[in-house]
Amino acid sequence: MTDTALPPRRFRLPAALRHWSIATGAVILAVVVLAAILAPWVAPYDPFRMGSGPRLSPPGAAHWFGTDELGRDLFSRVLLGARASLGIGLAAVVAGLGLGVSFGLVIAFCPARLKGLLLRIVDVVYSFPDTLLALALVAFLGPGAENATLAIAISLIPFYARVTYGLAAVERAKPYVEAAQIAGTAPTRIMRVQVLPNILQSLIVIGSIGFSSAILSAAGLSFLGLGVQPPSPEWGSILASGRNYIARAPWILIFPGLAICLTVLSFNLIGDGIRDLTDPKGRRRRG
Amino acid sequence: MLTFVARRLLTAAITILVVVFLAGVLIHLVPGDPITAMLAQSGNASAADIARLTQQYGLDRPVWQQALIYVGNVLQGDLGTTIRGNEPVAPLLLGRLPNTIALAVAGLGTALALGIPMGVIAAVNRGRAADFAVMLIAILGVSIPGFWMGLTFIQVFSLHLGWFPVAGTSARNIVLPALTLGIVHSALVARMTRSALIDILNEDYIRTARARGLREREVLMVHAMRPAMISIVTVVGLVFAHLLGGQVITENVFSWNGIGRLAIQAMLQRDYPLVQGFIVIFATSIVLVTTALDLLYGLLDPRVRRR
Repeated sequence: MTDTALPPRRFRLPAALRHWSIATGAVILAVVVLAAILAPWVAPYDPFRMGSGPRLSPPGAAHWFGTDELGRDLFSRVLLGARASLGIGLAAVVAGLGLGVSFGLVIAFCPARLKGLLLRIVDVVYSFPDTLLALALVAFLGPGAENATLAIAISLIPFYARVTYGLAAVERAKPYVEAAQIAGTAPTRIMRVQVLPNILQSLIVIGSIGFSSAILSAAGLSFLGLGVQPPSPEWGSILASGRNYIARAPWILIFPGLAICLTVLSFNLIGDGIRDLTDPKGRRRRG
Repeated sequence: MLTFVARRLLTAAITILVVVFLAGVLIHLVPGDPITAMLAQSGNASAADIARLTQQYGLDRPVWQQALIYVGNVLQGDLGTTIRGNEPVAPLLLGRLPNTIALAVAGLGTALALGIPMGVIAAVNRGRAADFAVMLIAILGVSIPGFWMGLTFIQVFSLHLGWFPVAGTSARNIVLPALTLGIVHSALVARMTRSALIDILNEDYIRTARARGLREREVLMVHAMRPAMISIVTVVGLVFAHLLGGQVITENVFSWNGIGRLAIQAMLQRDYPLVQGFIVIFATSIVLVTTALDLLYGLLDPRVRRR
């Protein structure tokens, strides 16, 4: 059990930015975020307009990434797709983190027997891959961007609850919590006012690790037709609609896929660096 | 040992029951009336049909009662009938199970065959260029969406080079999906192998073995790899669970006639009993494999049994 787990080491931003993988990830991520924010102004064409160019025309000066099966400009669609992918990722991580943290805090302050049961339930759900959880949930909620976001958020809860529980259990054993308890402070108030601020920084850092999985799940769900619905551009859904044309127009396959890879890679690089820096056992044994 | 086995099996049984119960509850997530939503897909349904199905699925009862009815039915081997075609769900899913198992085993085998050597190379060359290269490949591996890798493989190996058929379910067809699943999950195996081996290489008995003048190869293969394999066995369960998650999408990319492909069709057609059946079968498989590996772990390492 994580009761005895060491708390993560403190995370410091300046040191982090000197870490090679965090720095590389941050640069890639900055480009993707900028693209998402500036998309409507930077995009050379209306991403929804059919016949912006000839159908399935290869990448060239007029259309940097080529055009799709309806003659829409792929570069504009991939740019705007960044908004959907990052948006779903952000919303899912924030919602999942909020719910997971609340759940983890409550578990940490439960009576021993109930705590054992709740942890067991969290572990059971956690043993299923989050893609599968999100898939199962969206199957019943119905397809669509909002439902996919909700499903991904819920699929992240077990991970965040587990992490929060580990951090909160360590705090709970400290004298200041005991003092508050003796003073008669209500448990919910201790959780909110005393424990949460102390673990918040670690939580935000660990929260970022959920991003890569959220974005992969979002792309996967959209690819299967269960997430963002066409004609809205999203990397997974662009791939889904282009998959029948991959023989004639491989560029429809290449660019949205690269966009997903780079974004997920940036989060993985950052997450890996964070894990490296905050590992309680000191720097992970890497060169 | 016997109490260890009994306790693990009991936990597994309870876990499966809980998951089946949750699968039963899931139908209440459907916005509006699930029966109407399901029947909307198949068109002309009379009020009598709706009433009959509502009663059949226990949707006129409280949530917990309805979910318990579902659990009871599943325990008797009854997963309900599909909305489309009114076929029994259990034989439909079980008929596809061999294809799904074949792909999962091939994918897992590929992941281990690629991941373990990568992890060993990284651990032995810790801190050197080879280590860095392997870890970089590993992080790239977990960043590539499986369905994109699959589509790229189809584009290159099937359409361009013509080495493999584009889609279908046969011995020749298994190569590309198994490679896709294997490559994506080898990254996880490589990481686990590397960290397990690095811990072991720091142990005193390894130093003793080296001091006795054994060749490095012997130290690695005989003294380090055997205990490392024990740690690897435990992560195989984790990798398998993740692999099944990825498999649903991979089966769809390659039109592989497994449970995952059927499940996505069912999801798009709102065939809820079929989706519930898919959840029950996949969850049960994950629990069974994890439990089997836990037992194996207990067999290999007596210390585990006492926990």
